[in-house]
Amino acid sequence: MQVALKVWRYDAVAGDRALREYEIDAPEEATLLDCLDIIKDRVDGTLAYRKSCRMMICGSCGMRVDGAAVLACKTRMHDIAQDGHVPVVSAMGNMPIVKDLVVDMQPFWGKINAMKPWLEPGYADPGEKEYVVSQPAMDPIQKESLCIFCGCCVSECNSMESDPEFLGPAALAKGMRFVGDPRDAATVERLQAYSEEHGIWDCTRCYFCQERCPKGVDPRDAIAKLGAEAMKAGIDSDMGAKHAKWFVTSSRTTGWLRETELVPKTQGIVRSLKEVKFAMGLLRHGKVPPPVPPHVAKHVDEARALYDLVKSQTRDGAAGIVQGEKALSRIEFEDAVERDPYAEDSFPKPRLLGEDAAE
Amino acid sequence: MEGKHDVLVVGGGLTGMRAAVEAYDLGADVAILSKLHPTRSHSGAAEGGINAALGNASEDSPEEHAYDTVKGSDYLGDQDAIEVLCEEAPADVYQLERWGAVFSRTPDGRIAQRPFGAAGEPRTAYAADITGHVLVQVLYEQVMRRDIPTYEEYFAWKLVVDDERCQGVIAWDLLGGGLKAIGAKTVILATGGPGRMYAGSTNAYACTGDGMAMALRVGVPLEDMEMMQFHPTTLASNGVLITEGCRGEGAYLLNKDAERFMVHYAPNAMELASRDVVSRAEQTEIDAGRGIEGNVLLDLRHLGAERILEALHGTRELAMTFAHVDPIYEPIPVRPGAHYHMGGIDTDVWGRTALEGLYAGGEAACVSVHGANRLGGNALMETITYGKRAGHHAAEWALSHTTVAVPPSLERESERELQMLIDRTDGERPWKIREELATTMHDNFGVFRREDQMLAQGDIVQGLRERYERVVVDDKGDVFNNDLTQALELGFMLELAQCMVASGLARKESRGAHARPHDFPNRDDVNYLKHTLVTWDDGEPRVDWRPVTITKWQPQERTY
Repeated sequence: MQVALKVWRYDAVAGDRALREYEIDAPEEATLLDCLDIIKDRVDGTLAYRKSCRMMICGSCGMRVDGAAVLACKTRMHDIAQDGHVPVVSAMGNMPIVKDLVVDMQPFWGKINAMKPWLEPGYADPGEKEYVVSQPAMDPIQKESLCIFCGCCVSECNSMESDPEFLGPAALAKGMRFVGDPRDAATVERLQAYSEEHGIWDCTRCYFCQERCPKGVDPRDAIAKLGAEAMKAGIDSDMGAKHAKWFVTSSRTTGWLRETELVPKTQGIVRSLKEVKFAMGLLRHGKVPPPVPPHVAKHVDEARALYDLVKSQTRDGAAGIVQGEKALSRIEFEDAVERDPYAEDSFPKPRLLGEDAAE
Repeated sequence: MEGKHDVLVVGGGLTGMRAAVEAYDLGADVAILSKLHPTRSHSGAAEGGINAALGNASEDSPEEHAYDTVKGSDYLGDQDAIEVLCEEAPADVYQLERWGAVFSRTPDGRIAQRPFGAAGEPRTAYAADITGHVLVQVLYEQVMRRDIPTYEEYFAWKLVVDDERCQGVIAWDLLGGGLKAIGAKTVILATGGPGRMYAGSTNAYACTGDGMAMALRVGVPLEDMEMMQFHPTTLASNGVLITEGCRGEGAYLLNKDAERFMVHYAPNAMELASRDVVSRAEQTEIDAGRGIEGNVLLDLRHLGAERILEALHGTRELAMTFAHVDPIYEPIPVRPGAHYHMGGIDTDVWGRTALEGLYAGGEAACVSVHGANRLGGNALMETITYGKRAGHHAAEWALSHTTVAVPPSLERESERELQMLIDRTDGERPWKIREELATTMHDNFGVFRREDQMLAQGDIVQGLRERYERVVVDDKGDVFNNDLTQALELGFMLELAQCMVASGLARKESRGAHARPHDFPNRDDVNYLKHTLVTWDDGEPRVDWRPVTITKWQPQERTY
């Protein structure tokens, strides 16, 4: 098939940037990585990009196609080429470009390292045996364990774009991999460290990381789990934690989000005083309800019952989110299929020599 | 000299990282040098698991593990090395678990183990079907914890030999540009296999046998180079591996008539016979016209959606992405593909090579625990146990010796040689040579081998080597010039291919992966119960021999 591509080339020595277009002939099953290989081999050997496994596990070939991060080895070109679309390939975002599609990942690795991502065993060495832990107890970190450090999430992270020091989705997901590990003894220290500035609560929840992760790690969910675990451990002095807490308190007590009180509950009384003039303005224009008397929803008892139900199931912290993820994946899978693998038009059932005679 | 260390580990995969951690814990100043970031290493692509007689799924013992490995090797494995592996394996796996490896668990909370090919017991500990990935992560975590320095994206090109010992490497710095010399009292080569010289290989682009070729060039013998394993289940489109764990979980292999054809080749073990046996069976079916477009089918349907999603989710992802098949509903077309090189740099059970100060481990090395055919799950175990042992010995040696020297003349000479390649503007681009090498190795040195094809392949590789002399690098720059390093990798692979063909011609029998059905269809223990050893003699391979080490198990007829 004929494939056309535009690639943002970058020459670090000269500082030149140029959008180059390439047209090549590629096999039907070619991926973006295969196409880049054809360009590098046969058209221009100076084109630079990283690659290795070409099977979605080494994490080398993260790059952007039409502005969204992908693994080049996972991106098939057939449909794109058939549509006549000419995609624009560029280096990942939020990392300095070294050359063409190669970015400097040292800041990325530095943040991974800052998580102290190694197990601190919280139990006596069992000697010549493994530590016994149930599969269900390990399940909460199953998704976080899938991360291949490709950087696609970081490339798309809006928080990191405004705060380059933000730990970011990959590092925080790695952090959750240890916080959620029942064998680890440093949970509280980790949660304290991750709750500081540039940490858990600096995520803006845009969900771009979740959308672009090629491995289903769901980094935003990991960050939510960290937040929930931090609050469960009483590490809630950050404004982000207070903000989240007020959502719960408010909906439990009145069935509504009482926005008027949200600012003081989040920022504290002293800091909120600065906002008084602004708040009065809002009040005057009818943009917020007066704080007293509190506006209580008609069926507030339902909100309270829901809260009590969740509490009674002891799914505090990350457990509730993990439960939700499991339920969702089950729904997604069951929605997708109602097929019989041995239907009329399927490949026949396997048989063994002699089985025919028996039938 | 850019840096100086007690121990320099070349390669950042499982062997390399395990060696580095061991050397560090013994107090050595150790560094890792790798052309990839360590977590990008191909160890991470290992799927099915790691073999150790933990006895969590059934009664098991290191001795049974050793016997299965000896038999699997078609009696070419050195039995002392196999016994070391199988005895140390359980403690080494517990160590990985203690470091945090996220293994799958049994209902009673122990490390789960699944059946694997040619194993008498369910012995393969696993983390779903991403075991290699999980182990790479845990070792990288331990490297971070120790703050072991890493020369990341440094392409090792030459070994420094001075005073008849190895004293470092000369490497091309991909990010910064330029050749850099790193001195070390001991060097451990953990650079993996050369599988990329085959079309349809399961291997990553990085698997170009760099360490083997570097060792060969300084006169270190390579052992059993003819022994390239073909994995029975790889995808036709790009050679991607579908784990043996599928068959461990109970998947069937079918021909176009939906028949479980393994009944004709291994009536007892069926799909779980050893890899050489299964690959030959598949190729026989395909050659007899009972395949489908050059493939047979791997059928997982009867395992059910729940088990597939739980234990084989990575496989499903690969099959859906690269074969457009959802294994819950359709069988996966698979065929044999070059996967693992049993041969490599000749070492003893401490990873020592013939050159003082030079060590090797993992797929780059040949201890030899795999002999003529490796069992699934034994490669990961070898990386850990023999990585540890190489790291241990290299550190102890380094700590009891003092000096390191990189002769400036060697640095200058290397720079001149590289500059000649960079400056050449008239000649051939490497890709065509690389593709011809890959397709001809697949055709002429594959699952079945014929004398005339091997002879022809020797000539083909010789011709490619001559063309390689005039190869042209497009990129003349310093920043991330992997056009240059890919050309150097091709040079490595061409020399190794020639060693493989020479060894293959010398072994006039059928043993394990080396199958010669047309002229020498049987194993010949009288004449060939011995290893090939190749050295480079004036630009040509020379084949010598060494007897197999036998401790307990005399060769027997091998059936499954």
